[in-house]
Amino acid sequence: MWLPVFFLIIGITLGLLTDITVPDQYSNYLSIAVLAALDTLIGGIRAHLDKKFDQTIFITGFFFNITLAVLLAFLGVQLGVDLYLAAIFAFGVRLFQNIAIIRRHLFNKRKR
Amino acid sequence: MSKKSKFAVSIICAFFGLMIAIQFQSVQKPKERDTRDMWEVRAQLQEEQKTQQKLYQQLKELEAVTKQYQENTERQQIETLQKSIDSLKEKAGLTRKTTSGVILTIKPIFRGSTEQEYPSVTSELLNRLINELNTYGATDIAIENQRVISITSIRNVNGETYVNNLRLPDLPIEIKIMADDPNRLIDHMEVSQSKDDFAIENMLLDTSYQEEITLPAYQGNINLDIVEVNETQETGDE
Repeated sequence: MWLPVFFLIIGITLGLLTDITVPDQYSNYLSIAVLAALDTLIGGIRAHLDKKFDQTIFITGFFFNITLAVLLAFLGVQLGVDLYLAAIFAFGVRLFQNIAIIRRHLFNKRKR
Repeated sequence: MSKKSKFAVSIICAFFGLMIAIQFQSVQKPKERDTRDMWEVRAQLQEEQKTQQKLYQQLKELEAVTKQYQENTERQQIETLQKSIDSLKEKAGLTRKTTSGVILTIKPIFRGSTEQEYPSVTSELLNRLINELNTYGATDIAIENQRVISITSIRNVNGETYVNNLRLPDLPIEIKIMADDPNRLIDHMEVSQSKDDFAIENMLLDTSYQEEITLPAYQGNINLDIVEVNETQETGDE
Protein backbone atom coordinates (compact mmCIF):
# COMPACT_ATOMS: atom_id res chain seq x y z
CA MET A 1 0.00 0.00 0.00
CA TRP A 2 2.79 2.42 0.86
CA LEU A 3 4.99 1.58 -2.09
CA PRO A 4 2.87 3.51 -4.69
CA VAL A 5 2.68 6.57 -2.42
CA PHE A 6 6.43 6.41 -1.90
CA PHE A 7 7.02 6.23 -5.64
CA LEU A 8 4.60 9.08 -6.24
CA ILE A 9 6.61 11.26 -3.89
CA ILE A 10 9.82 10.16 -5.61
CA GLY A 11 8.31 11.12 -8.98
CA ILE A 12 7.23 14.53 -7.77
CA THR A 13 10.60 15.30 -6.18
CA LEU A 14 12.41 14.12 -9.27
CA GLY A 15 10.28 16.41 -11.42
CA LEU A 16 10.79 19.40 -9.15
CA LEU A 17 14.53 18.84 -8.79
CA THR A 18 15.30 18.36 -12.46
CA ASP A 19 13.74 21.72 -13.30
CA ILE A 20 12.21 20.48 -16.55
CA THR A 21 9.62 22.76 -18.09
CA VAL A 22 7.34 22.31 -21.06
CA PRO A 23 6.97 25.12 -23.61
CA ASP A 24 3.80 27.15 -23.28
CA GLN A 25 2.13 25.78 -26.40
CA TYR A 26 2.57 22.19 -25.23
CA SER A 27 1.38 22.63 -21.65
CA ASN A 28 -2.16 21.85 -22.86
CA TYR A 29 -1.09 18.39 -23.96
CA LEU A 30 0.67 17.70 -20.71
CA SER A 31 -2.35 18.73 -18.67
CA ILE A 32 -4.53 16.34 -20.65
CA ALA A 33 -1.95 13.59 -20.23
CA VAL A 34 -1.98 14.24 -16.48
CA LEU A 35 -5.75 13.87 -16.48
CA ALA A 36 -5.54 10.60 -18.42
CA ALA A 37 -2.94 9.27 -16.02
CA LEU A 38 -5.07 10.20 -13.04
CA ASP A 39 -8.04 8.45 -14.62
CA THR A 40 -6.02 5.29 -15.18
CA LEU A 41 -4.71 5.28 -11.62
CA ILE A 42 -8.15 5.72 -10.10
CA GLY A 43 -9.46 3.06 -12.49
CA GLY A 44 -6.73 0.72 -11.32
CA ILE A 45 -7.66 1.24 -7.67
CA ARG A 46 -11.28 0.59 -8.47
CA ALA A 47 -10.41 -2.60 -10.38
CA HIS A 48 -8.32 -3.72 -7.45
CA LEU A 49 -11.24 -3.19 -5.08
CA ASP A 50 -13.51 -5.03 -7.52
CA LYS A 51 -10.87 -7.80 -7.48
CA LYS A 52 -10.60 -7.52 -11.26
CA PHE A 53 -7.15 -5.96 -11.38
CA ASP A 54 -5.10 -6.99 -14.41
CA GLN A 55 -1.56 -5.72 -14.62
CA THR A 56 -1.34 -5.83 -18.43
CA ILE A 57 -4.58 -3.95 -18.90
CA PHE A 58 -3.51 -1.40 -16.31
CA ILE A 59 -0.14 -0.62 -17.88
CA THR A 60 -1.32 -0.65 -21.49
CA GLY A 61 -4.35 1.42 -20.48
CA PHE A 62 -2.09 4.01 -18.89
CA PHE A 63 0.01 4.61 -21.97
CA PHE A 64 -2.79 4.09 -24.46
CA ASN A 65 -5.11 6.56 -22.73
CA ILE A 66 -2.41 9.20 -22.52
CA THR A 67 -1.48 8.76 -26.17
CA LEU A 68 -5.08 8.87 -27.32
CA ALA A 69 -5.85 11.97 -25.28
CA VAL A 70 -2.81 13.81 -26.57
CA LEU A 71 -3.54 12.73 -30.15
CA LEU A 72 -7.12 13.93 -29.82
CA ALA A 73 -5.93 17.29 -28.49
CA PHE A 74 -3.40 17.53 -31.30
CA LEU A 75 -6.06 16.75 -33.90
CA GLY A 76 -8.30 19.37 -32.34
CA VAL A 77 -5.58 22.00 -32.63
CA GLN A 78 -4.99 21.09 -36.26
CA LEU A 79 -8.70 21.24 -37.11
CA GLY A 80 -9.42 24.32 -35.04
CA VAL A 81 -12.02 22.46 -32.97
CA ASP A 82 -11.60 22.09 -29.23
CA LEU A 83 -11.50 18.28 -29.38
CA TYR A 84 -9.52 18.07 -26.14
CA LEU A 85 -12.78 18.93 -24.42
CA ALA A 86 -14.04 15.48 -25.47
CA ALA A 87 -11.12 13.84 -23.68
CA ILE A 88 -11.57 16.02 -20.62
CA PHE A 89 -15.27 15.21 -20.53
CA ALA A 90 -14.76 11.46 -20.90
CA PHE A 91 -11.99 11.30 -18.33
CA GLY A 92 -13.84 13.59 -15.96
CA VAL A 93 -17.01 11.53 -16.00
CA ARG A 94 -15.11 8.28 -15.56
CA LEU A 95 -13.03 9.77 -12.78
CA PHE A 96 -16.10 10.70 -10.77
CA GLN A 97 -17.76 7.34 -11.41
CA ASN A 98 -14.69 5.41 -10.32
CA ILE A 99 -14.26 7.55 -7.22
CA ALA A 100 -17.92 6.96 -6.34
CA ILE A 101 -17.47 3.20 -6.66
CA ILE A 102 -14.26 3.30 -4.58
CA ARG A 103 -16.09 5.26 -1.91
CA ARG A 104 -18.88 2.67 -1.80
CA HIS A 105 -16.35 -0.13 -1.49
CA LEU A 106 -14.65 1.63 1.41
CA PHE A 107 -17.96 2.23 3.20
CA ASN A 108 -18.97 -1.41 2.73
CA LYS A 109 -15.65 -2.54 4.16
CA ARG A 110 -16.17 -0.40 7.26
CA LYS A 111 -19.73 -1.63 7.77
CA ARG A 112 -18.62 -5.22 7.82
CA MET B 1 -2.40 -7.83 -5.34
CA SER B 2 0.76 -9.58 -6.37
CA LYS B 3 4.13 -8.05 -5.71
CA LYS B 4 4.77 -7.62 -9.40
CA SER B 5 1.61 -5.64 -10.08
CA LYS B 6 2.22 -3.57 -6.98
CA PHE B 7 5.55 -2.62 -8.44
CA ALA B 8 3.90 -1.76 -11.76
CA VAL B 9 1.39 0.49 -10.03
CA SER B 10 4.24 2.13 -8.15
CA ILE B 11 6.16 2.84 -11.35
CA ILE B 12 3.04 4.31 -12.93
CA CYS B 13 2.57 6.42 -9.80
CA ALA B 14 6.11 7.72 -10.08
CA PHE B 15 5.47 8.54 -13.72
CA PHE B 16 2.28 10.35 -12.77
CA GLY B 17 4.09 12.34 -10.08
CA LEU B 18 6.79 13.34 -12.54
CA MET B 19 4.18 14.61 -15.00
CA ILE B 20 2.40 16.58 -12.31
CA ALA B 21 5.67 18.13 -11.16
CA ILE B 22 6.63 19.13 -14.70
CA GLN B 23 3.22 20.60 -15.36
CA PHE B 24 3.32 22.47 -12.06
CA GLN B 25 6.70 23.91 -12.88
CA SER B 26 5.68 24.91 -16.40
CA VAL B 27 2.70 26.80 -15.06
CA GLN B 28 4.70 28.42 -12.28
CA LYS B 29 7.48 29.67 -14.54
CA PRO B 30 7.23 33.40 -15.24
CA LYS B 31 6.12 34.06 -18.79
CA GLU B 32 8.56 36.88 -19.50
CA ARG B 33 12.00 35.57 -20.21
CA ASP B 34 15.19 37.61 -20.27
CA THR B 35 16.06 37.62 -23.95
CA ARG B 36 18.75 40.27 -23.90
CA ASP B 37 22.00 39.37 -25.56
CA MET B 38 25.47 40.11 -24.25
CA TRP B 39 25.66 43.50 -25.87
CA GLU B 40 22.39 44.71 -24.40
CA VAL B 41 23.33 43.46 -20.97
CA ARG B 42 26.66 45.22 -21.25
CA ALA B 43 24.99 48.45 -22.34
CA GLN B 44 22.60 48.19 -19.40
CA LEU B 45 25.49 47.57 -17.04
CA GLN B 46 27.32 50.62 -18.34
CA GLU B 47 24.21 52.70 -17.92
CA GLU B 48 23.83 51.56 -14.34
CA GLN B 49 27.47 52.25 -13.62
CA LYS B 50 27.07 55.75 -14.98
CA THR B 51 24.05 56.30 -12.77
CA GLN B 52 25.98 54.98 -9.82
CA GLN B 53 28.86 57.34 -10.51
CA LYS B 54 26.50 60.25 -10.84
CA LEU B 55 24.83 59.36 -7.56
CA TYR B 56 28.20 59.09 -5.83
CA GLN B 57 29.13 62.50 -7.19
CA GLN B 58 25.90 64.01 -5.92
CA LEU B 59 26.37 62.35 -2.57
CA LYS B 60 29.87 63.80 -2.30
CA GLU B 61 28.63 67.29 -3.06
CA LEU B 62 25.80 67.02 -0.57
CA GLU B 63 28.13 65.65 2.07
CA ALA B 64 30.42 68.62 1.55
CA VAL B 65 27.48 70.95 2.05
CA THR B 66 26.41 69.22 5.27
CA LYS B 67 29.98 69.37 6.51
CA GLN B 68 30.00 73.10 5.88
CA TYR B 69 26.77 73.49 7.80
CA GLN B 70 28.06 71.53 10.74
CA GLU B 71 31.46 73.13 11.02
CA ASN B 72 30.67 76.79 10.48
CA THR B 73 29.15 79.56 12.55
CA GLU B 74 25.62 80.77 12.05
CA ARG B 75 26.60 83.61 9.77
CA GLN B 76 28.60 81.25 7.61
CA GLN B 77 25.74 78.77 7.65
CA ILE B 78 23.43 81.39 6.24
CA GLU B 79 26.06 82.16 3.65
CA THR B 80 26.23 78.51 2.66
CA LEU B 81 22.46 78.39 2.44
CA GLN B 82 22.47 81.49 0.28
CA LYS B 83 25.09 79.92 -1.94
CA SER B 84 23.03 76.75 -2.42
CA ILE B 85 19.95 78.82 -3.19
CA ASP B 86 21.92 80.81 -5.75
CA SER B 87 23.30 77.71 -7.41
CA LEU B 88 19.85 76.12 -7.53
CA LYS B 89 18.39 79.33 -8.97
CA GLU B 90 21.03 79.35 -11.64
CA LYS B 91 20.29 75.72 -12.47
CA ALA B 92 16.57 76.45 -12.71
CA GLY B 93 17.17 79.42 -15.02
CA LEU B 94 16.03 82.16 -12.65
CA THR B 95 19.19 84.28 -12.99
CA ARG B 96 20.75 86.35 -15.75
CA LYS B 97 23.69 84.60 -17.28
CA THR B 98 26.53 85.98 -19.39
CA THR B 99 29.14 83.83 -21.14
CA SER B 100 30.28 83.02 -24.61
CA GLY B 101 27.70 81.27 -26.73
CA VAL B 102 25.90 80.91 -30.01
CA ILE B 103 23.33 83.19 -31.59
CA LEU B 104 20.99 81.39 -33.93
CA THR B 105 18.92 83.61 -36.17
CA ILE B 106 15.87 82.36 -38.04
CA LYS B 107 15.48 84.44 -41.22
CA PRO B 108 12.97 84.22 -44.02
CA ILE B 109 14.09 83.12 -47.48
CA PHE B 110 12.46 84.67 -50.52
CA ARG B 111 12.59 82.65 -53.67
CA GLY B 112 11.50 85.44 -56.00
CA SER B 113 7.91 84.44 -56.61
CA THR B 114 5.42 87.12 -55.66
CA GLU B 115 2.74 84.81 -54.25
CA GLN B 116 4.95 83.54 -51.46
CA GLU B 117 3.59 84.03 -47.98
CA TYR B 118 5.72 85.58 -45.28
CA PRO B 119 6.99 82.51 -43.42
CA SER B 120 6.38 82.00 -39.71
CA VAL B 121 7.77 79.57 -37.17
CA THR B 122 5.30 76.92 -36.07
CA SER B 123 5.37 75.50 -32.56
CA GLU B 124 6.27 72.02 -33.86
CA LEU B 125 9.29 73.31 -35.73
CA LEU B 126 10.44 75.31 -32.72
CA ASN B 127 9.96 72.33 -30.41
CA ARG B 128 12.01 70.14 -32.70
CA LEU B 129 14.70 72.78 -32.93
CA ILE B 130 14.91 73.08 -29.13
CA ASN B 131 15.07 69.30 -28.81
CA GLU B 132 17.84 69.16 -31.33
CA LEU B 133 19.77 71.95 -29.62
CA ASN B 134 19.47 70.11 -26.33
CA THR B 135 20.70 66.93 -27.99
CA TYR B 136 23.76 68.73 -29.29
CA GLY B 137 24.75 69.95 -25.84
CA ALA B 138 22.95 73.25 -25.27
CA THR B 139 22.88 74.13 -21.57
CA ASP B 140 20.78 77.30 -21.59
CA ILE B 141 18.49 78.65 -24.29
CA ALA B 142 16.59 81.89 -24.71
CA ILE B 143 14.14 82.50 -27.56
CA GLU B 144 13.75 86.23 -28.25
CA ASN B 145 14.73 87.04 -24.67
CA GLN B 146 12.39 84.40 -23.26
CA ARG B 147 14.43 82.02 -21.18
CA VAL B 148 13.64 78.38 -21.93
CA ILE B 149 13.52 76.39 -18.70
CA SER B 150 12.34 72.87 -18.07
CA ILE B 151 8.67 73.86 -17.80
CA THR B 152 8.65 76.36 -20.65
CA SER B 153 5.69 75.88 -22.97
CA ILE B 154 5.88 76.33 -26.72
CA ARG B 155 2.33 76.31 -27.99
CA ASN B 156 0.25 77.13 -30.98
CA VAL B 157 -2.52 79.53 -29.95
CA ASN B 158 -4.89 80.65 -32.70
CA GLY B 159 -2.25 80.13 -35.34
CA GLU B 160 0.39 82.08 -33.45
CA THR B 161 3.35 80.56 -31.65
CA TYR B 162 3.61 81.36 -27.96
CA VAL B 163 6.69 80.85 -25.81
CA ASN B 164 6.24 81.17 -22.05
CA ASN B 165 2.69 82.41 -22.75
CA LEU B 166 4.00 85.34 -24.77
CA ARG B 167 3.56 85.71 -28.50
CA LEU B 168 6.62 85.19 -30.62
CA PRO B 169 7.36 88.21 -32.86
CA ASP B 170 7.62 87.91 -36.63
CA LEU B 171 10.84 86.81 -38.30
CA PRO B 172 13.74 87.24 -37.91
CA ILE B 173 13.91 85.53 -34.54
CA GLU B 174 17.01 85.37 -32.44
CA ILE B 175 17.76 82.35 -30.24
CA LYS B 176 20.62 82.61 -27.78
CA ILE B 177 22.25 79.37 -26.80
CA MET B 178 24.89 78.52 -24.25
CA ALA B 179 26.80 75.28 -24.51
CA ASP B 180 29.84 73.67 -23.04
CA ASP B 181 31.37 73.56 -26.49
CA PRO B 182 29.71 76.22 -28.68
CA ASN B 183 31.79 75.51 -31.78
CA ARG B 184 30.75 71.90 -31.77
CA LEU B 185 27.13 72.98 -31.46
CA ILE B 186 27.55 75.23 -34.49
CA ASP B 187 29.06 72.37 -36.47
CA HIS B 188 26.19 70.13 -35.49
CA MET B 189 23.60 72.74 -36.46
CA GLU B 190 25.18 73.17 -39.88
CA VAL B 191 24.20 69.60 -40.77
CA SER B 192 21.10 69.32 -38.62
CA GLN B 193 17.69 68.01 -39.59
CA SER B 194 16.16 71.27 -38.39
CA LYS B 195 18.02 73.19 -41.06
CA ASP B 196 16.28 71.11 -43.73
CA ASP B 197 12.93 71.33 -41.98
CA PHE B 198 13.13 75.10 -41.72
CA ALA B 199 14.28 75.36 -45.33
CA ILE B 200 11.14 73.52 -46.47
CA GLU B 201 9.13 76.25 -44.73
CA ASN B 202 11.22 78.97 -46.44
CA MET B 203 13.33 79.81 -43.42
CA LEU B 204 17.05 79.92 -42.91
CA LEU B 205 18.96 79.07 -39.75
CA ASP B 206 22.01 81.23 -39.30
CA THR B 207 24.42 80.38 -36.49
CA SER B 208 27.22 82.60 -35.26
CA TYR B 209 29.62 82.40 -32.35
CA GLN B 210 29.64 85.33 -29.90
CA GLU B 211 32.23 86.02 -27.24
CA GLU B 212 29.64 87.39 -24.90
CA ILE B 213 25.90 86.80 -24.84
CA THR B 214 23.48 87.49 -22.03
CA LEU B 215 20.53 85.27 -21.29
CA PRO B 216 17.69 86.90 -19.37
CA ALA B 217 16.21 85.30 -16.27
CA TYR B 218 12.94 83.42 -16.42
CA GLN B 219 10.26 85.87 -15.44
CA GLY B 220 7.22 83.78 -14.65
CA ASN B 221 6.47 81.90 -11.48
CA ILE B 222 7.44 78.27 -11.30
CA ASN B 223 4.34 76.51 -10.05
CA LEU B 224 5.29 73.02 -9.03
CA ASP B 225 1.93 72.07 -7.51
CA ILE B 226 0.75 70.58 -10.76
CA VAL B 227 4.00 68.80 -11.55
CA GLU B 228 3.96 65.04 -11.23
CA VAL B 229 6.56 62.39 -11.76
CA ASN B 230 5.96 60.66 -15.06
CA GLU B 231 6.53 56.98 -14.47
CA THR B 232 5.27 55.62 -17.73
CA GLN B 233 7.97 54.42 -20.05
CA GLU B 234 7.93 55.57 -23.60
CA THR B 235 9.35 53.67 -26.53
CA GLY B 236 13.08 53.92 -26.54
CA ASP B 237 13.38 54.36 -22.80
CA GLU B 238 15.37 51.58 -21.34
